[in-house]
Amino acid sequence: MKWNSRTRCAIVCLGFVLLFSAFSFRLIYLQMIKHDQYAGLAAEKHVYKQPIFAERGTILDANNEVLAHNVPVETVVADATHLTEVEATVDLVSGELKLPRADVSEKLHSDRRYIVLKREVPKAITDSLRQKLRAKNLRGIYFEQDATRIYPNGVMLCHVIGFTDFEHRGIQGVEGSLDDYLRGQDGYRYIEHNRAGQELVLYRGQERAQRNGYQVHLTIDLNLQNIVENELDAAMREYSPKKATIILMRPQTGEILAMANRPAFDLNRRSDAKPEQMKNRAICDMMEPGSTFKIVTAAAALNEHKFRLDSYIFCEKGVWNYGGTALHDHAAFSDLSVKDILVKSSNIGAAKLAVSLGDQKFYEYIRRFGFGERTGIELPGEIPGLIRSPQSWSKISITHIPMGHEIGVTPLQMTAAMCAVANGGKLMTPRIVKSITTSDGKTVSSLSPIALRQVISPETATQIGTALRGVVSDRGTAAAAAVPGFIIAGKTGTAQKVDPRGGYEKGQYVVSFCGYLPADRPEFVGLVVLDGAQTKPELNYGGLVAGPIFSRIAEKAARYLDLEPHEEIRKAIPVERVALTNASRH
Amino acid sequence: MNRSRRKNWNTVNAASLARWIVLTGFLALTGLSYVYLTLQLYHLGDRKKALETEVANLRMQNEVASAQIAALTSRSALQRRLKEGYLKMIPIAEHNIVRLTLPARNQEDTVQPVSNQRGAR
Repeated sequence: MKWNSRTRCAIVCLGFVLLFSAFSFRLIYLQMIKHDQYAGLAAEKHVYKQPIFAERGTILDANNEVLAHNVPVETVVADATHLTEVEATVDLVSGELKLPRADVSEKLHSDRRYIVLKREVPKAITDSLRQKLRAKNLRGIYFEQDATRIYPNGVMLCHVIGFTDFEHRGIQGVEGSLDDYLRGQDGYRYIEHNRAGQELVLYRGQERAQRNGYQVHLTIDLNLQNIVENELDAAMREYSPKKATIILMRPQTGEILAMANRPAFDLNRRSDAKPEQMKNRAICDMMEPGSTFKIVTAAAALNEHKFRLDSYIFCEKGVWNYGGTALHDHAAFSDLSVKDILVKSSNIGAAKLAVSLGDQKFYEYIRRFGFGERTGIELPGEIPGLIRSPQSWSKISITHIPMGHEIGVTPLQMTAAMCAVANGGKLMTPRIVKSITTSDGKTVSSLSPIALRQVISPETATQIGTALRGVVSDRGTAAAAAVPGFIIAGKTGTAQKVDPRGGYEKGQYVVSFCGYLPADRPEFVGLVVLDGAQTKPELNYGGLVAGPIFSRIAEKAARYLDLEPHEEIRKAIPVERVALTNASRH
Repeated sequence: MNRSRRKNWNTVNAASLARWIVLTGFLALTGLSYVYLTLQLYHLGDRKKALETEVANLRMQNEVASAQIAALTSRSALQRRLKEGYLKMIPIAEHNIVRLTLPARNQEDTVQPVSNQRGAR
């Protein structure tokens, strides 16, 4: 068969049509049907999601002094497959980063693509290393942006501030409890890069900005904290106790003004700290409060109108046999008023007050004062203490609990209870966080005082306050806690230490003093607790060990807070001296 | 003669030529503009990136400086310097105190001193 030229031409054209149709179909198939798949493959090679890291928020005190903030650092990493001159790189890196040469050599002689050489390297060092690598034309070493947390005050306030782990997650203190606010939210950006790995800004894709962490303002006043920490250090030198805690709290609002514990640790060298040093004993440790607990007993009895402040109770001349057990006083008291039971710290008197209330009512008051439940402070790891229900009390519990035995309370619970006495009977929730703001100062959350309940009537609180003034007098157990110029109210506590094997440790005491100043218009409540103070047995009492520490703290705090001394004392001070003192203070 | 002469002359359509020149010029200009603008975009992108890096570096330097200020002015650092004798606290001399006549003040805002000789360590 012979085709004429026209037919041949048509066949060729048809061939082209079919060929180009096939190409067209293939193109449509690739560009439209398989578009997502191939676009994904291309994106995998050139597009990646670049994280934009959020900055962790700063922690500040009540006067905006920085307690914790960030410093930019870099992580030095290596890709062993990119290394050109391994030995030269090992020499340079180990020298600059001060790492053992053998360790670096072992790491760089592997074939791994991601090797972390050192974390948290200061910017100055990485800049120097970067320049030297460039000068020697060495490849394979990379730098990743990071930030580390620094705490300018080191040991001060360590248990309250807490710290973060290497992934910047808060794991203790405010860093832990407010981690959600402090951490912020990372952003991201889809970017494309060329074959050399450089970003093509032109092809930036979807982007979400990071939200930096919020700033947390604490109620802590670093000036008061400094006073407390210095006195605590002095007490550690003088008495070498195993543990010690001091808390200052504003009774009207529940704000914690200072909180310090020993042993403590340096927040900037937390890897050296032992677990015992990291414990915030103000909220994590339980102690038998001893006689400071008598304020609860007396308040309950007065509030229930079982007695008046001037009612007399026979104190059995020092020994009272109750439930087959002898209860002793430190002196042979006969008749004591309710006020004097607190002033003289009579165990028998306190026991008789509790007996008059009965188990259930007394237990009710203990719970109303907040014992046996967490206070709700914004710090992690708080324990509720240990208060057994009356069903599990022994026959003599009603005589032992009133003097602060057979119960476990935290120092913070004891301070909060004293605050209730100082502020007219309201139990306030202790607060450590004042407000949360953005980095440019906009308030995110402002925390107001929370009054949990009216524990006792204001009249009862006033009566207890009157009695507690007598404690810090020549007649009371805490004359050494006095501050010239001010009337102080407070209560001492001396409790034998509980032996974990059962019973009590001989010669080991937890001594404490809890008081407030000025007694008529309290500005702060302070608690000083020393566990296992090393001193002569005849001096190991709350009034003689913790009382003077409270006195020194209260005096300095009163100066700092510019508190007005009591009227009668003020009159005795010449005007010239007032001016001189005012001038030198400011 | 006239006829052969006429054959050797090609008439130039000036209008058409001009149209083609304009079109070609326009296309060339468009192409060059496209290339130029694309390059500009790359260039501006690089500048943007460089500025971002610079801002990030400045921010970083600022943070480092803030950290140094916080560390140097922290209470523990100041106390250490006080102990080392680098800083000294000097009592205000009598002649440096300016006393104002004390105004009659309300009881609430009267500032009074506190002293505790016994408690002095």
